[in-house]
Amino acid sequence: MSEVILKDLKKVYDNKVTAVHDVNLTIQDKEFIVLVGPSGCGKSTTLRMVAGLEEISDGELYIDGRLVNEVAPKDRDIAMVFQNYALYPHMTVYDNMAFALKLRKVKKADIDKKVREVAEILDITQYLKRKPKALSGGQRQRVAIGRAMVRDPKVFLMDEPLSNLDAKLRNQMRAEIIKLRSRINTTFMYVTHDQTEAMTLGDRIVIMKDGFVNQIGTPQEVFNRPVNLFVAGFIGMPVMNFFDGCKLLLENGKYFAEIRGVKFELDEFQQKALKQNGVKPCDIVAGIRPQHVTVGSGDLTATIEVSEMMGSEYNIHARSGEDEVVMLIPTVDLTTDVSIGRNIRFTTKPGLIQLFDKATGNNLIWYDADSAANNAPVCKRYD
Amino acid sequence: MDAATGTLKAPVLKKPGNSASRRLRNFKENAPFLLMILPAVVVVFLFCYLPIYGVLIAFQDFMPGDEILSENTIWVGFDNFTRFFNDPQFWPLMKNTFLICIFGFIIGFPLPILIALTLNALKSKKVGKSLQTIFTAPHFISLVVLVGMLQLFFGSDGLLASIAAHFGGSYKSLFLKDSAFRPLYILSSNWQDFGWSAIIYIAALSNVDPQQHEAAILDGASRFQRVIHVDLPAIMPMISVMLIMSIGGLMGVGYEKALLMQTDGNLHTSELVSTYVYKQGLTGIPDQAYAAAIGLFNSVINVVLLIIANTTSKKFSENSLW
Repeated sequence: MSEVILKDLKKVYDNKVTAVHDVNLTIQDKEFIVLVGPSGCGKSTTLRMVAGLEEISDGELYIDGRLVNEVAPKDRDIAMVFQNYALYPHMTVYDNMAFALKLRKVKKADIDKKVREVAEILDITQYLKRKPKALSGGQRQRVAIGRAMVRDPKVFLMDEPLSNLDAKLRNQMRAEIIKLRSRINTTFMYVTHDQTEAMTLGDRIVIMKDGFVNQIGTPQEVFNRPVNLFVAGFIGMPVMNFFDGCKLLLENGKYFAEIRGVKFELDEFQQKALKQNGVKPCDIVAGIRPQHVTVGSGDLTATIEVSEMMGSEYNIHARSGEDEVVMLIPTVDLTTDVSIGRNIRFTTKPGLIQLFDKATGNNLIWYDADSAANNAPVCKRYD
Repeated sequence: MDAATGTLKAPVLKKPGNSASRRLRNFKENAPFLLMILPAVVVVFLFCYLPIYGVLIAFQDFMPGDEILSENTIWVGFDNFTRFFNDPQFWPLMKNTFLICIFGFIIGFPLPILIALTLNALKSKKVGKSLQTIFTAPHFISLVVLVGMLQLFFGSDGLLASIAAHFGGSYKSLFLKDSAFRPLYILSSNWQDFGWSAIIYIAALSNVDPQQHEAAILDGASRFQRVIHVDLPAIMPMISVMLIMSIGGLMGVGYEKALLMQTDGNLHTSELVSTYVYKQGLTGIPDQAYAAAIGLFNSVINVVLLIIANTTSKKFSENSLW
C-alpha cells in the first residue's frame, strides 16, 4: 500500500504569499495522478511538499498511512525525477544510478544487480559507463528515471520531466512512461503544464489555478464535465468556445439556452439536472467545444477568417458577432465551402452545450458545492 | 570525362566565397567584439610584450645610461647567468623563495576553496554574505598598512611586547627572528587574501544547479556529502585552472612585502630572489644586467612549471589552460 493523502495542505512563503491553499487529495495505491495548471498555479510547490523539499506551512501529509510532515525527504520512501534531469555531471550513468544505494550502504553486489536490472528495463545498459554530457536529452531522462527506479520507491514524483525535450521525443518518452508505469506498478504523482500529457498519462487529473484545486477527475470527466470556466478553457485542444451574453430560459417547465438569439432546447439529462439543482433563469456563458460544432446547418452564423486544412480535419476560425468561434470539422463530414470570407451556418447538439453561471463561472450542471467547500472539487454525480 | 583516359572526373565543388572574403566577412561580423578587446590587447602589448625587449640586457655588459642595442653593445652571452649560479647567495635565495612559495601555496590554495564551500553550505544566506564581506575586507588594506599592523602586534614595541612586559617577561620582536619570518609572511598573506581568492569559487558555486542538491537530498546525502558530491565536482574545473595558474606563479613572489618586513635579524630567511633582484638592480651601484639575468632565470622556472602543470592536468583531467 502506498496511498498518499494530502489533508488541507498549505504553503505560505515568508513574504506571506500563499502558493497553495488547503489542498485535499487522496492518491490511491498505484494510481497515476497528474497535477496540471498554468505557471504559478502551485502544482510544483505541492509536489515539492510531498517530496519534502518545501516545508509544509499547514495541513497534514500521509504516505502509506504515516504522517510525514516532519520526516526527512530521504526517509519518505519517495523518488523524484526533475525537469532538467539533475544528474551528477561528474559521475557515470552507473554511478548516478547507484549513488542513492551507496549512501544507504547497500552491498556492492546488490547495487550492481539492481542498477543493471533497471538499465535493462530502460534500455540504457550500453550507456552505463558514459557521463551525462555524452547522452542525448531522451537518454538523460531515462537515466534520471532509472536513478529513481533503483530505489524501489513507494511513490514516484515527476516534476515536468518531459518539458526539456523536443516535441517528437516528448511523444516518444510519454509512451515510454506509460509502458514503464505498467511495469513498475507504483504510485505516481506527475506535474505538467501540458494538458495533452495530463490527459494521456493520468488516471486522474488535478487541475490547479492560483494555488487552488479547481477540479479533480478522470480525463473524461474533466473534458466532458468541467466544473467551471477555467477547467473548461484549460482542458481540450483547441480551447472550448465561450459565448458571452447568453441566457438560460425556463419556458413551460423546459430549460432553453439562448445563444446569439437562437434558442436551444436542452436535452433530457440537462433538464433533469438543472431541475434537481433548482437553477433559475439567469445570464450564462455557453461553452461549445470545437469538436462539437456542426457546419452547414443551424441558425447560428459566422464569417470564416482562417481555414486550416489539417489533413483529416479542418480547423476553422470564424467570427460570430463579438466572439471568435473555433470549429474542428472532420474532412469527411464537410459538405460546405469553408474558404476564407465565406458566411456559414453552424450549430451543435444542445446536450453538448456547457452552461456556466455568468456571475460565478461555475458549471450549472457539474459544479458540486460540497466537494468544492472541502477544497477537493469533483464533478457532481447524478443517479 | 577525361578525354585522355576515358575516366569520369568528380566535379570540383566550389566553396561559397574565397577564403579572403570569408575572413573579411568574419572580421566584419566580429568587429564589435574585437573592438572591445582592443584596449586590453594594447595594454598587454605595451606593458607585457614591449618590455621583453629589455631582457636583452641580461646577455650584455650593460651599464645604466647605455643603449640596449647600439654599436657599443658588449654581448656577454650567459655570463650573467653563470655569475648568478656561482653566487654564494644562489642556493639560499632559491631555498628561501621556494619555501615561502610552497608553504604559502599549501596553506593558501585550499583555504579559499574551503571557505567558499563553507559559505555556500551555510543555511542562512544573510550570515554567509556578512561573513564573505568580513573575509574580503582585509584584501583592501595596503601592504604598508598590513606590515604596520604586524609591527603593532609583533614588533619590539608591539602588543605582545607590552603583554610580556606587563607580566615581567622578556620578548624579542618576531621581526628579528629568522624562524618567524616565514610563518608571519605566509599567515598574514593568507589572512589578507583568502576571502578575496574565495570569490571566484563562490561565483562558480552559484552556478551549481539547485536541483542537483535536491536530487542529492532525496538520494539521502547529508550536507557534507552534498558538498563533496555536488559542490566540489562542480568547481573542479575552476580549481584545476587556478591550480595551474598558481603553480605557474609559484616562484613569482613579489619583493614589496618581503622588503617591508625585512630586518637584519631575519635576512637569512627574508632575502628572496625578487628582493635580491631589486637590490642588485636599483640600489647601491646598480647592476641591471645581472638583475635582469636573475629575473629572467626566475621567469623561465615559472614558465617551465606552468607547462608541466598544464600538461599534467591535461593528461589526468579534462581541464587545462590550453
